[in-house]
Amino acid sequence: MSSAVILIVEDNERNLKLLRDVLGVRGYSTVEARSAEEALDRVRADRPHLVLMDIQLPGMDGVAALRELRALPDGAALPVVAVTAFAMKDDRDRLLAAGFDGYLEKPIDIRSLPSTVASLLAARELEPLP
Amino acid sequence: MTAPGSTSPLPDRRLEELSDQVAQLLDQQAATNDVLRAIGRPEFELQPIFETVLENAMRLCRAHAGQIFIHEGDHYRLACASGGSDEYRSVIAARRVPLGSGTLAGRVGLERRAMMIADIATDPEYDTEEQRLRQRLGGFRTIVGVPMLSEDDVIGVISLWRSEVNSFTDREVELATTFAAQGAIAIRNANLMQQLGSRTRELARSVDQVEGLRKVGEAVSSSLDLDVVLSAIVRHAVELSGTEGGSIFEFDDDEREFHVRTAYGTSEELVDALRRTHVGIHNTLVGRAASTGTSLAVPDIAEAASDPHLTQLLRAGWRSMLAVPLVRTNRILGALVVRRRAPGEFSPQITDLMETFASQSALAIHNARLFRELERKTAELEVAGRHKSEFLASMSHELRTPLNAVIGFSEVLLDRLFGDVNAKQEEYLEDIRASGRHLLELLNDILDLSKVEAGKMELDLVDVSLRHLIEDAVAMVRDRAIRKGLTLEVAVDDDVDAVTADPLRLKQVVVNLITNAVKFTPDGGRIDVRAEHAGGEYRVEVRDTGVGIAETDQQRIFDAFQQGPRTVSESAEGTGLGLTLSRQIVKLHGGRLWVASRAGEGSTFTFAIPVSAPARAPEPDGPAAARGESADGRGRTVLVVEDDPRSLELMTLYLRGSGFDVRAAPDAEQGLELARRLEPDAIVLDIVLPGLDGWDLLALLKSEARTARIPVVIVSMLDERGRGFALGAADYLVKPVGREDVVAALARCTTAAPVTVVTLTDDPLVLELLDAVAADDAYRVLAASTGEGVLALARSEHPDVIVVDVFTDGVDVFEVVEELRAGSRTAIVPIVVLTSEAMTAESKRRLHGQIDRMAGRTELDRRMLTDLVGSLADPRGRAEGR
Repeated sequence: MSSAVILIVEDNERNLKLLRDVLGVRGYSTVEARSAEEALDRVRADRPHLVLMDIQLPGMDGVAALRELRALPDGAALPVVAVTAFAMKDDRDRLLAAGFDGYLEKPIDIRSLPSTVASLLAARELEPLP
Repeated sequence: MTAPGSTSPLPDRRLEELSDQVAQLLDQQAATNDVLRAIGRPEFELQPIFETVLENAMRLCRAHAGQIFIHEGDHYRLACASGGSDEYRSVIAARRVPLGSGTLAGRVGLERRAMMIADIATDPEYDTEEQRLRQRLGGFRTIVGVPMLSEDDVIGVISLWRSEVNSFTDREVELATTFAAQGAIAIRNANLMQQLGSRTRELARSVDQVEGLRKVGEAVSSSLDLDVVLSAIVRHAVELSGTEGGSIFEFDDDEREFHVRTAYGTSEELVDALRRTHVGIHNTLVGRAASTGTSLAVPDIAEAASDPHLTQLLRAGWRSMLAVPLVRTNRILGALVVRRRAPGEFSPQITDLMETFASQSALAIHNARLFRELERKTAELEVAGRHKSEFLASMSHELRTPLNAVIGFSEVLLDRLFGDVNAKQEEYLEDIRASGRHLLELLNDILDLSKVEAGKMELDLVDVSLRHLIEDAVAMVRDRAIRKGLTLEVAVDDDVDAVTADPLRLKQVVVNLITNAVKFTPDGGRIDVRAEHAGGEYRVEVRDTGVGIAETDQQRIFDAFQQGPRTVSESAEGTGLGLTLSRQIVKLHGGRLWVASRAGEGSTFTFAIPVSAPARAPEPDGPAAARGESADGRGRTVLVVEDDPRSLELMTLYLRGSGFDVRAAPDAEQGLELARRLEPDAIVLDIVLPGLDGWDLLALLKSEARTARIPVVIVSMLDERGRGFALGAADYLVKPVGREDVVAALARCTTAAPVTVVTLTDDPLVLELLDAVAADDAYRVLAASTGEGVLALARSEHPDVIVVDVFTDGVDVFEVVEELRAGSRTAIVPIVVLTSEAMTAESKRRLHGQIDRMAGRTELDRRMLTDLVGSLADPRGRAEGR
């Protein structure tokens, strides 16, 4: 078992901080990206185990970012969860159809977030730092 | 003649007299012929007749001069004179002879008989200065006057003169009287002919006008294409006014100018020139005509005060014109102009006629403008609707982002992820979190509502227990009620249970109603939640002892953001959208939600939903309640054809227990008779029967229209399903059968699929109409507002009838109808086209033969739909909606 690295892709500073702090306090190490381009760099450099991806980003959006990410070595199997304030039912379907492994609607229920993350990582036998 | 035997010859004198008489008679004969020929001439001019009459009278009466006077108003006018000096004739020509006894003519007129003055020089009554003057000039002495009588009126007088004293003989006077009578006939005929001629011309003109106006009216009502209408109007206007060219100017309100809209009999050059000319309201005669609302004529453009419009006309060779205003309800719409290449006046008749044309043109312009306005508004509304959706989506996104942080961070702290918080801090954190949640709720309600409005809310229908759903909802609100010291009682009848519904949405409705009741009921009050099963629907009622709602506010509270005056101290709670949304959700379930209340006496909110909700989410506000799966045989008649008493008893027991009304027949013959008479909802048929067997009966039932539609469930010892289905059985059960088997089979086949109506329209009124027409569970209405939409629905939903609204915006209805007819699945489905009088004949022709019915909106009714559905052979073999 090794400690899991989670990449948070989010352009809103406060929401980024919220995710970082909640996951941090649960023992996950996090890396951050504020744009799709940066996210792709981080995936290459930091090889995260899970990506939480905001959809509406400056420039390239989360869906396009996912497409590029899947083309990266190791990118195909990387769990990527869409985190979005688009709240329409078809948004959820649209994102899952685009290849996201999960869908979290904002506002995020931070009480259930740790278990969601844990179950996504469980398949890869990763767990937070003790 | 001479006496017999007398040999003396006739005396010469006598002979002379006789030959004289013969000559005179011949002369008279010739004269009369002369006059009659003149009278009979086709052109019928009076003057030559007068001349002929006078000349012959003078000659035969041996007069030296003569005159014919014609009665006109208060005098006699000299119509014809002969003989006498030139000076004399010019004097009498200028004079009018007054009526009355002052003159011989006047006297003859008064006395209505021939009169003679033997010698005017000695006649005491013939002694005025004028008479003497005449006598001096004419040198006349003896005078006779005869009246020209038509019916009883004196229409003129003939006077004959001799220049020496020599009385006219009786015969001569008689002759003159005859000529006078002929003259009178001539005058009367001439008048009649004239009247006839003008009447004929008038008639011909009005026939032309009526025909022209009819054509114009037709053009106005049959086409919304303004150019077509106006060019028809201007063409007819020019043709009927006997002018050579014309144009219609349209007034541009913004520029305060007139623009040539259409022209007839006008050169391209002039039209171009007029287009370049500023035809203003003050600087042109056309403008003045339009602005003052009066027709203005210019008899000679070359002589008239020039203006920019007239200058162009003159340059192009036009000399006279008439401008008629086009005005409607005091608004200047334009002007109609007709022109001639020659100068000349415009008669009042022509002006009247052109004014009629102008009012038709004004109507056409008015209609066309209304139509354009309507089109523009529709387009604007569409854009506005799209903007609204886009706005809501982006607002939702933008608000959720900060809310995420507000709620998230307060929860982080409340969960002590970063250490403890004290009681006060915890209280405030709860406040922050609750406010954030409230905002979120508001946001969700707004989104939901906009989804309903946009027809995008879909129900996730499943079979659920309404009882449990209500209990869950009550549990969610009970705490709050207890905190207010309210009594919350729940009574759900035993038969309230299975329902097809979207549980989350329906629970949202129940929670909303109870939450409202809690909110508006003062501490210590009471809330009753009741649910019952009544007439194929469930009714859920929430009654409180709260502040109540005045009747005037009872509709308003269902409007968005209207909490009404019953908003009390807790106004921060709730979004003001709850009732609006609840009503929409209930509607989507095929039900309705209403309130009964009086101010100060509490309120009762009730919703009713069909026991089986629609199988698919309908379009917004669609009723579409379907008769769903139900094991309930309530009110349905089943005929059991069974010869074995024990089997019959058992079957009867099964079916009665499920609420079916059971009738029995021991053999096929009685079975057939009962089936014809009762037309039961279903037949349970045993195969082995005495005499005719079950197969025979099945074949007989299916061969008669009246009984063919009744579903037959075969219950037999033998497993011959193939044969059973081939003969038209609805289901086939092999004995022994249990109660569940037979009830389920009956439920399947007596549950008529609802008649599916697919409609193409974007008009809420049409949807409402269909809702009203098909307002029960035997129908479901699916609506689309685009061509693709309706084609997709028609292919996937197996409609029984398709209703196409010809005025659906942006849709080529003809194309849609053609595609429907071309599609293999949709070719035979009856199509009703909703139209209006305004549809052009051309359009109607295009649809002819393609569709089954063309109907005005008001004609669309239940019977028409049922007839059309019934006219279609049912290829799917399912029962028709009843």
